[in-house]
Amino acid sequence: MQNASLIALSRQIALSRQIDVVANNVANVTTNGFKSDNTMFQEYLMPGARANHFRGRDNVLSYVQDRATWQDFRQGPLQQTGNPLDVAVDGSGFIAIQTPQGERYTRNGAMQINAAGELVTSEGYQVLSDTGPIVLQAQDNSISINPQGTISVHGGTGTISIIRGQLRVVDFAQPQRLQKDSGSGFSAPADMQPTPAANVRIVQGAVEQSNVHGVTEMSHLIEVNRNYTLIANIIQNASDLRKSAIQQLADVPAA
Amino acid sequence: MLALYTAATGMAAQELAVQVISNNIANMSTTGYKRQRAEFQDLLYEHRTQIGTQTSNQGNILPVGVELGSGVKTVGTPRLMTQGSLAQTTNSLDVAIQGIGFFKILLPDGTFAYTRDGSFNLDSQGRIVTAAGNVVQPGITLPANASSITINQQGQISVTVPGSTTPTLVGTFTLTRFLNEAGLQAIGSNLLVETPAAGPPQDGQPNLDGYGSLLQGNLEQANVDAVTEITNLITAQRAYEMNSKVITATDQMLQTNVNLSH
Repeated sequence: MQNASLIALSRQIALSRQIDVVANNVANVTTNGFKSDNTMFQEYLMPGARANHFRGRDNVLSYVQDRATWQDFRQGPLQQTGNPLDVAVDGSGFIAIQTPQGERYTRNGAMQINAAGELVTSEGYQVLSDTGPIVLQAQDNSISINPQGTISVHGGTGTISIIRGQLRVVDFAQPQRLQKDSGSGFSAPADMQPTPAANVRIVQGAVEQSNVHGVTEMSHLIEVNRNYTLIANIIQNASDLRKSAIQQLADVPAA
Repeated sequence: MLALYTAATGMAAQELAVQVISNNIANMSTTGYKRQRAEFQDLLYEHRTQIGTQTSNQGNILPVGVELGSGVKTVGTPRLMTQGSLAQTTNSLDVAIQGIGFFKILLPDGTFAYTRDGSFNLDSQGRIVTAAGNVVQPGITLPANASSITINQQGQISVTVPGSTTPTLVGTFTLTRFLNEAGLQAIGSNLLVETPAAGPPQDGQPNLDGYGSLLQGNLEQANVDAVTEITNLITAQRAYEMNSKVITATDQMLQTNVNLSH
């Protein structure tokens, strides 16, 4: 009797985790470079009874367990902004940035220039090239970034373009092992080294929008909500069943 | 359930986005206005199961973990310093900057402010001042009987005085630039002031060393693009709506729990 309630409970806990994930996706529907999360559940089998002298097989109970959240690394739509310091990564790759916690990798290419002339993220973390931060000089103007990520400028009134560095765009053998850090950045485990990204294109004057699909998330939301109610009904029925069993079985008829 | 609070951060973020968009639209025809945009990032993650944890003594590791995000935060509302389009006027003291730089303005309290709004006037002493009466640097005074003011691309101001056929040079505008223009702080009235984030102000001559050139008889329009703003407004409104749906759904799930105990 208890089992029905416990199995239902395992599903409810899993569903409440799933709505947390959906809520985070929806909250980040307009966060540049955000990659949506998805939940993955697995069955957890538990034998019903241990006694082997029953005839027939044991009924195996199957519980639900939340196994993992996986990241959807699909390309988000590119939004034209016309801002020369906005870049989007077209293809599989990440822009390397330096944070106080170490190197991080991001798809959010909305860059700024700080007071020292370095290219930084909105949070002020340095955007890296192969040789460290990219520094612009005071007289630099008309910044252009080519599809390979090379940043060239015009210094002063000169018309010759000067190269100031190349964005370090990296890729990973197993991107699913990247961990989300706050601030649209990913951190890599120590045993997975970044490799230079192949087949990527840097698009200047555009940012990659969040790859969260509003419609998909809304249908997940309805699904979770309805399932939750359904499971609650099962719990209610199991409880009613038990209640009536107790009442009817213990009912001593009047003599 | 975390979802309630996560969705609440989403609604707060979209509310801020609408506020930024509404200010852009309100300033669509403000001379020299530079549009802002709200930038968001995801908040901290709770790692319920860590990626890479060993799942057996044989060294199998978890390829993926359980990561629960806690919402969204606003990192900034940077100003986009792209060139606005130029509108021709008939006023000889309307000056537009084409390229990098700001006009330097002396405020009544003795500090400097910077602006792209070049709609200047003359005050009672013949000085070139802004619409609010603040002196444009370096204080240029025109002779009382001056006529036909000419400002060239290098910012040199020449006037013709009666009795002379050659124009007289009375002064030159200076432009100021910052390494990080987006780091300037807006104080209203089309003025920006320096901050440590913007870097030190660098004064220079127009049309020299990468500074922008001046265009007389023109004003720089706001760089607000109506279509972009309306598109962003729709996006923000729909995102707000979606977040509110998450709150409703979570609320219903909690309601389900409450009903169970009857």
